[in-house]
Amino acid sequence: MATNSNLPRRIIKETQRLLSEPAPGISASPSEENMRYFNVMILGPAQSPYEGGVFKLELFLPEEYPMAPPKVRFLTKIYHPNIDKLGRICLDILKDKWSPALQIRTVLLSIQALLSAPNPDDPLSENIAKHWKSNEVEAVETAKEWTRVYATGA
Amino acid sequence: MGVNKVTDELVSMVRSIVGSEYSDMDVIRALHMAKNDPTAAINIIFDTPTFRKLEIPKNPEPVNRNSNPVSQNPVLNSKESGNDEKDSRSLTPSSNGSVKCREIKESDKEGKKADARDLSSSGCSSSSSLGSEWWFVGRAEVAGLSTCKGRSLKPGEEVLFTIPVERKLSSPSSGKFGGGRGRQISVCSEIVRFSTRASGEIGRIPNEWARCLLPLVRDKKVRIEGYCNSAPPVLGIMDTINLSVSVHMNSAMFQKSHQSSLKVASGDESVIHPLPTLFQLLGLSPFKRAQFSPGDLYTRKRPLNLEDSDPPTSLLQGTKFKCSLALDENKVETEETISDNDLDKIVGVENSSELEEMEPPSSLLCELRPYQKQALHWMIQLEREDCMDEAASTLHPCWDAYRLADERGLVIYLNAFSGDATVEFPSTLQMARGGILADAMGLGKTIMTISLLLTHSERGGSSGSQHTSQILTRNGEAVMIPEQSPTPKKAGKFSGFDKLLKRSNSLTSGGNLIVCPMTLIGQWKAEIEAHAQPGSLSVYVHYGQSRSRDAIVLGQSDVVLTTYGVLASEFSTENAETNGGLFSVRWFRVVLDEAHTIKSSKSQISSAATALVADRRWCLTGTPIQNNLEDLYSLLRFLRVEPWASWAWWNKLVQKPFEEGDERGLKLVQSILKPIMLRRTKSSTDKEGRPIIVLPPADIQVMYCELTEAERDFYDALFKRSKVKFDQFVEQGRVLHNYASILELLLRLRQCCDHPFLVMSRGDTQEFSDLNKLARRFLKGGKEIAEGQTRDVPSRAYIQEVVEELQKGEGGECPICLEAFEDAVLTPCAHRLCRECLLASWRSSVSGLCPVCRNTVSKQELITAPTHSRFRVDIDRNWVESSKVSALLRELEILRLAGSKSIVFSQWTAFLDLLQIPLSRSNISFLRLDGTLNQQQREKVIKQFSEEDGILVLLMSLKAGGVGINLTAASNAFLMDPWWNPAVEEQAVMRIHRIGQTKNVMIKRFIVKGTVEERMEAVQVRKQRMISGALTDQEVRSARIEELKMLFT
Repeated sequence: MATNSNLPRRIIKETQRLLSEPAPGISASPSEENMRYFNVMILGPAQSPYEGGVFKLELFLPEEYPMAPPKVRFLTKIYHPNIDKLGRICLDILKDKWSPALQIRTVLLSIQALLSAPNPDDPLSENIAKHWKSNEVEAVETAKEWTRVYATGA
Repeated sequence: MGVNKVTDELVSMVRSIVGSEYSDMDVIRALHMAKNDPTAAINIIFDTPTFRKLEIPKNPEPVNRNSNPVSQNPVLNSKESGNDEKDSRSLTPSSNGSVKCREIKESDKEGKKADARDLSSSGCSSSSSLGSEWWFVGRAEVAGLSTCKGRSLKPGEEVLFTIPVERKLSSPSSGKFGGGRGRQISVCSEIVRFSTRASGEIGRIPNEWARCLLPLVRDKKVRIEGYCNSAPPVLGIMDTINLSVSVHMNSAMFQKSHQSSLKVASGDESVIHPLPTLFQLLGLSPFKRAQFSPGDLYTRKRPLNLEDSDPPTSLLQGTKFKCSLALDENKVETEETISDNDLDKIVGVENSSELEEMEPPSSLLCELRPYQKQALHWMIQLEREDCMDEAASTLHPCWDAYRLADERGLVIYLNAFSGDATVEFPSTLQMARGGILADAMGLGKTIMTISLLLTHSERGGSSGSQHTSQILTRNGEAVMIPEQSPTPKKAGKFSGFDKLLKRSNSLTSGGNLIVCPMTLIGQWKAEIEAHAQPGSLSVYVHYGQSRSRDAIVLGQSDVVLTTYGVLASEFSTENAETNGGLFSVRWFRVVLDEAHTIKSSKSQISSAATALVADRRWCLTGTPIQNNLEDLYSLLRFLRVEPWASWAWWNKLVQKPFEEGDERGLKLVQSILKPIMLRRTKSSTDKEGRPIIVLPPADIQVMYCELTEAERDFYDALFKRSKVKFDQFVEQGRVLHNYASILELLLRLRQCCDHPFLVMSRGDTQEFSDLNKLARRFLKGGKEIAEGQTRDVPSRAYIQEVVEELQKGEGGECPICLEAFEDAVLTPCAHRLCRECLLASWRSSVSGLCPVCRNTVSKQELITAPTHSRFRVDIDRNWVESSKVSALLRELEILRLAGSKSIVFSQWTAFLDLLQIPLSRSNISFLRLDGTLNQQQREKVIKQFSEEDGILVLLMSLKAGGVGINLTAASNAFLMDPWWNPAVEEQAVMRIHRIGQTKNVMIKRFIVKGTVEERMEAVQVRKQRMISGALTDQEVRSARIEELKMLFT
C-alpha cells in the first residue's frame, strides 16, 4: 500500500470512473497489491472472430504515466495478426502515438476496436499476418477456433 | 588689411556689404573705429542703428563686444534696425515663399558692382523667376591642387566644378541641411574636381571644401563658381592653383526647409554640419555671434574646474540674456562673475531660501507658505513676463547671424549646434520659458502651480500681443518657429512642410493644459475648485471616450485637465494637428504633473508631450531622475532647453561623459539644471534656518518576519529550483540575455515571501482576459493557420462552443490531469488544458503536439484562457495565513482599537486578492484601489476612504497608488513587499506623509528574513547610489549581474 499512497490523482480518478461507469464489454480493476496494475477483461466484439470470447489482459501504469503509455498485454491466447504469442499488442497509441489525453478507458476501447478490425499490413505476428493475407477465411476460422478453445468459460 | 590708412578698396568692400544707404563718411568713420577691420566696421554700421546721427559710439570696440550693461540698448536696437533695414529692402521672403520682384533689380545692381569676373554669376542670380534665386554668400581663395601635367590655365579663366554623383541616393533629403553622419562618411571619400573649357580636368579642391560643398551642391542648396587667380604657367602634378570661388545659396531652401530641417537634426547623431563649415571656410564671421556655441563647450570643457565659468549657466539663465548676448570671449570672465552672482540671487538649488517671495492673488483662497510664495516668484520669473518683447527681439543664443556678401544685405541665421539655417529671426522666444519644479513630494507642488495659474493666465499666443504682432510684421513667422521645430512626430510624417505651416496657422489659442496621471485628474480638479475663487479659473476635464475634439471648446477653458494616455492617443492619431484635440491648440502654458512619466525619450508619450505647442512649459516632479541621467534629457527636450533638446549634443557632452565617469558630464548637468530647476525637500530650511515645512514625525520601521516551517520548505524548494536555472545562465555567460527569465524567477520567489499561494497564481491574467478579444483572435487565427500549414483547423462551430463555454465560466476538466483546469491555456486548435500538464507532455520546452488532436503547437501560440479566479487553488476554502499576513493582521488589529486608518501597499494585485480574505474574516472593513478602477471609481474610493470613519484599511497596488494621491486621512502605511526602486516606495509613503497630515505617521515595511527580500534591500541601496549619480552606466551594467548574483545567494 506504500506505493499506492503516492498514487497521482489522475490514476485514482480514472480508476474510480472505470469502476463506476465501465465501458461496454470492458472491465478493468486494479490489483489489491499495486494500484498501478489492472486486471482487464475484454469481450470479443460482435461480428468478429472473437465474438463470444472473454479475453484477459494485464495493464500496468508506469511511473511516468500519463506522460508515458500504459503497458498492456493479452493474457489469453488469441489468434490476431497484431498480437503475438506473448500477448504483446501492436497498437500505435501504445507506442509513439501515445498522448497523455488518452486514458485507460480509451486504450482498452482501442484494443477492443483492434479485435474488430485486424490489420495484417502492420503485423506483430508475421505468420498469422501471412495467413490472414493469403487465406482470410481460413485465418478467421482459426481465430474463431482459438477463441472457443482459449477464451470461453471453461 | 592691417594698414592704418583707410583705403578705397576697404571702403568699397564695406560698401559692397552695407549697401548704398550709408555715406562714404559713415563707412570711413566705421573703418576708423574698427581699426580698418572691415568686418568689424560692417558690424559697427549694422549694430548701431543711429549710426549716421550718433557722433561716436561710446565704445571704440565693435558694439558686439560690449560688456557693460549700459550698451544693451544699442545692441537691442541694432537688431531691430537690422530687421527694419531688411524689411525696407523687402528682401526677406515672406513665409509663404513668395519673393518680391525687386530682386531682379537688386541683382542687377550687384552685377554692376561686382568685378568683371563676376559678371556671369550675376546673370545667374537673376534666374529668380521660378521663385528661387541665388544669394551671393561670399568669395574665398581656395588653393586647388593640380591633378594634371602640362596643361595650363590663365588667371581669370573660369573653372568648372564637377560634383561626383552620390553613390546611393537612398534619401533625396529634400531640404535637409544637416547631413546625416552616414552621408558624410560616404562623401568623405569623394573628390570635387575642376576643369576648364579649354583644357579639361585641371585639379581638385581641398578636402575640407569638398566635404562641405558636396552635400550642399548636390541638394542644390548651394552653387559655386570659380576663376583662376594665379597658377604656374605650365602645370605639374600637385602644383597649387589659386582659385577664387564664389558661393551662392539657393533662396528656395529657406522656403522649403528652414523649419523642417530642425527636426531632422534633432534625431541626428551628427554634430558636424556642412553649412557652418562652409561659412567658416568662406571667412564669414557672424555679426551676431551665438552667445553659446559648440566651440565654447569644447574649449571650456577642457579645464576640469569649470564651476564658475560654465557657459550654460549664463546661457540658460533667462534674465541674463540681454546683457550677455553681445559678449565677446575677451570679456567673458568679468561677465560671468556677474552672471553667476546674479544667478545665485535668482535661483540655485542650494540657497533657494534666498528666493524672493511673491504674494499670490486674492483669488487663491488659501494661505501659501513662505516657501510656496518663493516658488511662485521663481516660476513667474522664469516665465519672464517682463521681457517678452525683449525675448522676441533678442537673438536666440544658439544661433549665429551672418550677413551674406550679397549686395542686398541678406541676413542668414545659422544654428551653431544643429547646422540649421533660416532667414527668419530666431528669437529667444523659442527657448524654454518654464522649468522644472522638483520640490520633494508633499510640499504642495499642486497648490504652487494653481497659484501660478491664478497669478497669470491668458490664452496661448495672446500674451503681449502687440509685441508679437510687431515681430510678426518684421519677421514673418518668427514667433511661430519655435512651436514647430524640435520633435519629429513620426519619422517621415513631417515630410510635407505645407502641413506644418497650416498647422501653426490654424492653431486655436488655449489656456493652461495640465497633463497628469489618470489617478490625479480628480484631485487636480478638486484642488482647483477648492483653492481658486469660484469663477476665477474654468476647468474642463479632457478625458474619456466622449471628450470633445473641438479645439474651440478646449481653448475656452482656463484650465484643461487631461491624462498622459489621452495625450499619447491623440498624438498617435493621423493628422493630430488638424483633427482637433490637444494638438490643435496653442496653449498658454502646459504643465506636466509627475513629469517623470515622460522620462524615456523614445516613448510615444514623451514625443507627444514635446510636440505640444505652448508658450510656457512646466514639469512638476518630485523625482526628476528616476533611473538614469537620460530621464532628464526628455524633460529638457520638452522644456526646449537649447541645445540640450538635441540628442546629439546631450549625448556628446552630458550623457557620454557621464557614462564614462567623466565628472564634467555631471557638472554640466548641474549647471544646466541650476537655473531652471527648483528643488526643496522637507528638510530644506528657510532664511532663518528653520525647516520650511513642519510635518508630524514619521516613524519608518522595517518589520522582519520569519517564515513558518512549511513556508520555509516551500520557499527553499522554489529557491533551489530557481538557483539551478540561474546558475545555468551564469555558466553560459548569458545572464543579461536571460534577464526576463531571471526576473520571472525572482518574481516567484518574491511572491512566495508574501504568500505561497501567489506562486500558484497565474502571472498573466491581464492578457486576454477580454473574452471577446479572445474569440476574435481565435476566429482570425483559424484563417491564418489555414494559409500557413495544412493543419486541421477547428471548425468555427467548435470554437464558438469553446468560447461560449469560457464565457459561461464552465469548468470542464483538463484531459491530462482530469481535474478542473488550473491555469488553463488554449491551443490554436482550441483545446483547453492546464498549462503545466500540457508543457509536461512535451519533450521539447518550446513546442510539442496537442495531446488532444496531435497538431503541432508551439509555446508561443498558447493563449491563457480567461477564468474568474487567478489562483490555481481555491484560495477561500484552503485559506492559510502566511507569516507576513499574520504580522499585518496583528498590526491592523491594534490600529483598529485606535480607529486609525491604514493603507496597505503591495505590488501584486493578486496579493491584495488574498488579503481580502482575512480582512473580511476579521471584519475589518476595507476598500481597494488598483489599476482596474476607472477614474470615477478611483475618486469614489478615495473620497469614501477619507470620509467614512468605519473604513480602516485601503488596499492599494503600489503602481496605481504611487503618485499624487492625497490620502492624509490615513496615518499608517504598510508596504507588504519591497520594490526594486526605492523611489516608487517612497512615493507611495508620501501619500500620507504630506501637507495636511496632522497625526504621527507610522510606516512599516515588511521583509521576510533570509529570503530574496532581504537581499533586495541591499540592491535598493545600490539603486539609490545610482540615482544620486554615484554609479556610472558602465558600473551599472556590471552591477546588474552582481546584483542578480547577490539575489541568488
